[in-house]
Amino acid sequence: MAALDLRAELDSLVLQLLGDLEELEGKRTVLNARVEEGWLSLAKARYAMGAKSVGPLQYASHMEPQVCLHASEAQEGLQKFKVVRAGVHAPEEVGPREAGLRRRKGPTKTPEPESSEAPQDPLNWFGILVPHSLRQAQASFRDGVLEAKKRKCFLERVIQCVVSPAAEQEAEDESCLEDWAAAVPAETSAKAI
Amino acid sequence: MAGRGKLIAVIGDEDTVTGFLLGGIGELNKNRHPNFLVVEKDTTINEIEDTFRSLGSLPGRVVEANPNQRDPPLWDEIDSRQFLNRDDIGIILINQYIAEMVRHALDAHQQSIPAVLEIPSKEHPYDAAKDSILRRARGMFTAEDLR
Repeated sequence: MAALDLRAELDSLVLQLLGDLEELEGKRTVLNARVEEGWLSLAKARYAMGAKSVGPLQYASHMEPQVCLHASEAQEGLQKFKVVRAGVHAPEEVGPREAGLRRRKGPTKTPEPESSEAPQDPLNWFGILVPHSLRQAQASFRDGVLEAKKRKCFLERVIQCVVSPAAEQEAEDESCLEDWAAAVPAETSAKAI
Repeated sequence: MAGRGKLIAVIGDEDTVTGFLLGGIGELNKNRHPNFLVVEKDTTINEIEDTFRSLGSLPGRVVEANPNQRDPPLWDEIDSRQFLNRDDIGIILINQYIAEMVRHALDAHQQSIPAVLEIPSKEHPYDAAKDSILRRARGMFTAEDLR
């Protein structure tokens, strides 16, 4: 009876695995499409700005992530991930605002220049006025990041499906092996007598 | 770090890394430890493997020239660069052709976090037959693919 229950559970896990694999394949297709759109837009931007104008030479010396993953425990021990994007930039005030404050109220504690809550937009690495194709590339890769997160959730379920049935089968095999190993000496001693 | 959430790391060619950094996943902190690696023509397989290994918290198998000679600051530097050793990375995006170079390291990574997602590159389209996870899933039904 226990064996039948185990087989039924394995069957349901296999069906779940196949369903998750199908969803994973769909998400993968979308992710690949977004990434390919991004490459095309990057190529257009490179054509407009110059071959060396879009590349690692333009990376900032200090980067803060605009996208983070927040994990929470979901059902069946799975991790649930949520993509959190950094806050929207507050419009920068241009002008000697701090100097004015200082004149009115005397020396005040100047705010730290790196304490801004919203990280810098990576588009600014490539200049002030960037071509539209570069913005399109950024949008494509941002969508790609979201798809990667969705794909990751399915991937985790697939991994759990792949690992847990194999582990259960191994445990069942080991218990059968132990029973057989315990039975063999008893038979041997019985035959010797 | 725990309150901020986990990062998305990327190991890929120039366009892939530039694109995802444009998407806002890049981090380069004051200690100069990035969560990305641009793989170029002169990037060695050891460097890729070294950067990738710690992301999955594999036991220390860092490739070194002289295992008897440990330089603590250098080891700290290597450990910090290795993605699998960092507990603040949730997903690793890697071009599939680069994943093929370090396939043994990927196959040894059994944990779900950080998850390794293989993505295509411009010159190498995605091949589901080479994906580690899908191969393992297929291995449940085909003995020759089972590892």
